[in-house]
Amino acid sequence: MANVSVAAEWQLLYNRYYRKPELYPLPWRHVDLARTKVAAAPFGGPVAVIRDDSKIVQLHAESALRKLRLFSSSGSLLADAVWRHSGGRLVGMSWTDDHTLLCVVQDGTVYRYDVHANLIEPNLSLGKECFEDNVADCAFWGNGLVCITDALQLFCIPDFGNPTAVKLADPGIDQMPHCMAVIEPQYTVSGNVEVLLGVDDAAVLAVEEDGVQRLGEGVLRGPLQKMVVSRDGKWLASFTHDGRLLVTTSDLTGVIIERECESALPPQQIAWCGMDAVLLYWHDMLLMMGPDGDPVHYFFDEPIILIPECDGVRILSNTSMEFLQRVPDSTVSIFTIGSTSPAALLYDALDHFDRRSAKADENLRLIKSSLPEAVEACVDAAGHEFDVSRQKTLLRAASYGQAFCSNFQRDRIQEMCKILRVLNAVRSPEIGIPLSIQQYKLLTPSVLIGRLINAHQHLLALRISEYLGMNQEVVIMHWACSKITASLSIPDATLLEILLDKLKLCKGISYAAVAAHADKNGRRKLAALLVEHEPRSSKQVPLLLSIGEEDIALMKATECGDTDLVYLVLFHIWQKRQPLEFFGTIQVRPLARDLFITYARCYKHEFLKDFFLSTGQLQDVAFLLWKESWELGKNPMASKGSTLHGPRIKLIEKAQSLFAETKEHFFETKAAEEHAKLLRIQHELEVTTKQAIFVDSSISDTIRTCIVLGNHRAAMKVKTEFKVSEKRWYWLKVFAFATIKDWVALEKFSKEKKPPIGYRPFVEACIEADEKGEAIKYIPKLADPRERAESYARIGMAKEAADAASQAKDGELLGRLKLTFAQNAAASSIFDTLRDRLSFQGA
Amino acid sequence: MAQIPNLDNAPVNLTSIREQSQKELVNILRNIRGKKCLVIDPKLGDSLSLIIQTSILKEHGVELRHLSGDPIQTDSSKVVYLVHAQPKLMRFICSNIHNDVSKGLQREYHVYFVPRRTVVCEKVLEEEKLHHMITIGEYPLYIVPMDEDVLSFELDLSYKECQVDGDTSSLWHIAKAIHKLEYSFGVIPNVRAKGKASVRIADILNRMQAEEPVNSSDMAVPEINTLVLLDREVDMVTPLCSQLTYEGLLDEFLHISNGSVELDASIMGLQQEGKKTKVPLNSSDKLFKEIRDLNFEVVVQILRQKATSMKQDYTEMTTTTQTVSELKDFVKKLNSLPEITRHINLAQHLTTFTSKPSFLGQLDMEHTVVEAQSYDICFDYIEELIHKQEPLKTVLRLLILFSITNSGLPKKHFDYFRKELLHSYGFEHIALLNNLEKAGLFKKQESKSNWLTIKRALELVVEDTDTANPNDISYVFSGYAPLSIRLVQHAIRSGWRPVEEILKLLPGPHLETKRGGFSNSPSFDTLSRVSTSIAKVPDGRRALVLVVFVGGVTFAEISALRFLSAQEGMAYDLIIATTKIVNGQTLVETFMEKLG
Repeated sequence: MANVSVAAEWQLLYNRYYRKPELYPLPWRHVDLARTKVAAAPFGGPVAVIRDDSKIVQLHAESALRKLRLFSSSGSLLADAVWRHSGGRLVGMSWTDDHTLLCVVQDGTVYRYDVHANLIEPNLSLGKECFEDNVADCAFWGNGLVCITDALQLFCIPDFGNPTAVKLADPGIDQMPHCMAVIEPQYTVSGNVEVLLGVDDAAVLAVEEDGVQRLGEGVLRGPLQKMVVSRDGKWLASFTHDGRLLVTTSDLTGVIIERECESALPPQQIAWCGMDAVLLYWHDMLLMMGPDGDPVHYFFDEPIILIPECDGVRILSNTSMEFLQRVPDSTVSIFTIGSTSPAALLYDALDHFDRRSAKADENLRLIKSSLPEAVEACVDAAGHEFDVSRQKTLLRAASYGQAFCSNFQRDRIQEMCKILRVLNAVRSPEIGIPLSIQQYKLLTPSVLIGRLINAHQHLLALRISEYLGMNQEVVIMHWACSKITASLSIPDATLLEILLDKLKLCKGISYAAVAAHADKNGRRKLAALLVEHEPRSSKQVPLLLSIGEEDIALMKATECGDTDLVYLVLFHIWQKRQPLEFFGTIQVRPLARDLFITYARCYKHEFLKDFFLSTGQLQDVAFLLWKESWELGKNPMASKGSTLHGPRIKLIEKAQSLFAETKEHFFETKAAEEHAKLLRIQHELEVTTKQAIFVDSSISDTIRTCIVLGNHRAAMKVKTEFKVSEKRWYWLKVFAFATIKDWVALEKFSKEKKPPIGYRPFVEACIEADEKGEAIKYIPKLADPRERAESYARIGMAKEAADAASQAKDGELLGRLKLTFAQNAAASSIFDTLRDRLSFQGA
Repeated sequence: MAQIPNLDNAPVNLTSIREQSQKELVNILRNIRGKKCLVIDPKLGDSLSLIIQTSILKEHGVELRHLSGDPIQTDSSKVVYLVHAQPKLMRFICSNIHNDVSKGLQREYHVYFVPRRTVVCEKVLEEEKLHHMITIGEYPLYIVPMDEDVLSFELDLSYKECQVDGDTSSLWHIAKAIHKLEYSFGVIPNVRAKGKASVRIADILNRMQAEEPVNSSDMAVPEINTLVLLDREVDMVTPLCSQLTYEGLLDEFLHISNGSVELDASIMGLQQEGKKTKVPLNSSDKLFKEIRDLNFEVVVQILRQKATSMKQDYTEMTTTTQTVSELKDFVKKLNSLPEITRHINLAQHLTTFTSKPSFLGQLDMEHTVVEAQSYDICFDYIEELIHKQEPLKTVLRLLILFSITNSGLPKKHFDYFRKELLHSYGFEHIALLNNLEKAGLFKKQESKSNWLTIKRALELVVEDTDTANPNDISYVFSGYAPLSIRLVQHAIRSGWRPVEEILKLLPGPHLETKRGGFSNSPSFDTLSRVSTSIAKVPDGRRALVLVVFVGGVTFAEISALRFLSAQEGMAYDLIIATTKIVNGQTLVETFMEKLG
């Protein structure tokens, strides 16, 4: 039976099964792991290979120059580059989380490569001390590295996002440690990296930036030869001087497992396989130790490299890539020999069903009650399977079982199919990313997509993100930028079409970002064409400016209505162009012009004048000058020295002549002229009266002030100078008399001649001054009986009011007056009454 | 006294908007550790009083100051400026910092721009070489809820900036604010706009939706069904008329600022001589909610009734024996006593203004101008006001009203009034006249006025208005139905189509469009399919209409809208947004720009 053959390949370690399926046979040639340095990235990442210059090897027909070669996990060559770097031997090589290859050489230089074997400039340096003392060894983690120099000092680059080297505390040792391991910053208490050094006595030094600790004293019986920290930073597996495997907590306070190994020689490699087994590799033997029971032996007739993953270890050899992994429980329950678990029976039932055997039904009946868990186990096992046909069978078994159980979550199978499709796609040898389902979940789909586009697998990335319903923007964006970089020979128009064709797939994609990339690649014209398609003005406009398309930028900014963008363009052009050219540009764009004027009014007065002059807006210059004349007046210096009135008047006269020049502003011309004249007269008045109360008051006020001061001749002079109408003159004079309560003068004035606007001003002035007696003198003289009635009413003479109203024969007025009186009486008393009524609440 | 209005009864969740603004402000303060001096530009301070209590600011180690040119007096080494992004305010910040530098004071400066940092403000700081000393941030306050149905963008100069300076920054701001609302309440499907600015806002709003779309699929039904945008320019008549509703009159005479009035304590019957007191005016006050929108005449009567009934109850209480439940009722009534007293005091104070002959005369003349039948009487009246040197704002209100209803004055009269104004009030007002002319508010007549046609077609003047039991919005001006609200009435009821001919007589273009849904760009063919009436919201809630006044709205207009929404057969709730709540005075003020 099929079940038997599956389980036959498993190895039992303690009570768990392990399997070691081959992921890929490797097609590469001329790779001999025995003579090379290898760096393989976890999560099925790329493999970097370079001839090991610390070994003496025979070159055969090979070139003496070394070549750095990058392969996918399936062994296809991604890129290569000739290694010409100086700086001594290559000490260490490793991949970062974002798939940058780090190569550390003896003099402390760190060369970085991307997955296309392009050197990333600039090269990093671990510092002067490393340069002088030589790097002896180094250790890496996902985003950083630590190295030790021949002078036994430790240096660290804690984060390649911000690659600066720091020196760690002096470990105070005088011999090269036997082994070195790091605990990633995210797992340490301090949040800084912790370096473990296996030194010569029975202890481990834990070195950090600000101190050294001795660990494991009393626990260890001798020096450690090899160490490896578990993936979660909690456990340390080590090989002791006397040939034991020791698993301790990473702070070396407690021993969890201690096992004798068959060799006292330290292993060449040591690695965690998941969290529950440790692998040790000597020469041709791989030993797998569990917490208990006999170890498992694997034998290899060629060198291997162990590549730890979160759920197992990949084993790279010259000819194949294998994956050593604990067999998942669901798989065990289905495929163990003689298993009668519900899942196994379900799997068996499908087999019967396929062979049209009635036993299928029998099996189903047997597991009726536990059908959901059987289905779940089949789905889960399918997920862990690398073999596509077995995935299919398991999923078929699951869906066969699902048909008979009502309460199973139906989308589980669908979901698993989705995941498997993605996994199978990336596992295919052309792509060569052999992710297990656990790794995939830990890595997350978005990171996977990031890695695919990084490897220029845009189509697959796009398909996957589409399939998983993820945002495709990042894929298309990256594709577009790569396309531009790679298409130097394609003409702009053609390339634009190619790009637009794809960019339109994604709504909301930033055309501006693509355009910026084109501009950076020296394709300004293409950038201009691309930015045209950017819908977001806030992105489009700055870019247009950076590629020198100021006029289009101004147009776009104006169109979108965001004045902030208009200002951005405005200041940009202002800075770049000659004033006259600048004026010309904004003059034809009303919004830009108006905004410029608004800003310049506050902060660039003189420049604004230049602008108005250049555009022939003389009246606006005139207004500015006129405004200046007031500012001069506000200046405290001006009010002291009367001579300073001169400049003010000069400014106003200048304004006047400018107004006149336009031939359209007669009114303003006249007003400016009058203003200048008024200032002169007021100035004279201040001199003669020795009172500084005239300047900057209005013509009417000046007249009133003169009358109040009794200077009737001056008042008259102002009146004639400015052709003040008789009407206004009467109001002014009457009110002026009322102000100083000169009722005699008022009466005299009323008798001078018949007032041109009647006696109403007299009546009003008296009523307002609350001089009833004076008012009565003039009320009878009012021509209109209605006015008379209302005036009487205002001073409370109800009877006279009524008489006048009836004289006017105006019934409506009479009624209204009556009402007014009634209401007034009521109005005045009503609220008092209300208040009285509510007085009880005051207590 | 709660200055911050209660928003629980708002038709959409305005509380969350306010809380968001609160949180953003607190976060800003929290991110600047320790004691700090918060310098706010005074206008923004007023708006913030509707958002957050001063005590909360103090809890975050804040010492409050108002922005001015004077040096800041504080011991704090950290100074946080919270200012509107207006270039002219930068001058104060620069002078503050220069002053500190000259004194050798070393301080940490933060400038937070409201609602966002702008190139022009940063340019000023840069030119003053202060850019490197300042940490710049943003406080995205685009909307301030004034009451449960009123939002303000707090753009008091919007109208003048657009009309006179050609600076349309505020339009972008308004569109952004509406777009922000859409993030909370869904894409508003129907848009009706009248006026140049309004149509532009609708355009910018569509651009924003295209650039940064609100995901309409997230929201099942948009909470706001229709957006009506209206330019103040379309109806400048209404704000210049004296408001006759209770709240309107309070604003005219006592000036309501951010939902409260400040007046002498003695007026409110408090025993603090010479002190000022603030009286909050919003819907949290039940009595005020009841009477704010009524004609003042009616309010006086209602208050009288309430007081009388209270008095009666009291008499009964003292003379007859009462059951416990009757006692309870009485005590309940007593609870409303402070509110009754408060409004009686306010109303009495108002009558001292409303009974003045000058006010009555002004009302009379406003009516005559709006009637537009007696040109000469109006001319003489205004001339006399100028000769008597009545307050300039009062004169201008009437003069502008006169000019608008006549679509400008004949050149001779135009020049005459201008001359008389300059002679009476001073030549510095030439700038004001220039502004008014640019804005088209007081100008030379160039074409025949169509005011009479508009007035007749929209039935703006209604005879025999019953202010006590009104059946039309004309009650708010005792006989004049505000043009703006008539337009809104039409926009909501049947869309623009039936009034298209009238709309053409009013300034600016109009637009009616459908947005959102699954169409990404509103094409013209969708226009023809616009349903004329607003679809009912399926789940039984009343459909909500957002009415936006670009350039300000008066309390009387708000009252008229509330009246509309309360009418039988009106299936819509209304929510009002405005650049600022205005009245004739404040509107005229924005155009005053003394040369000196």
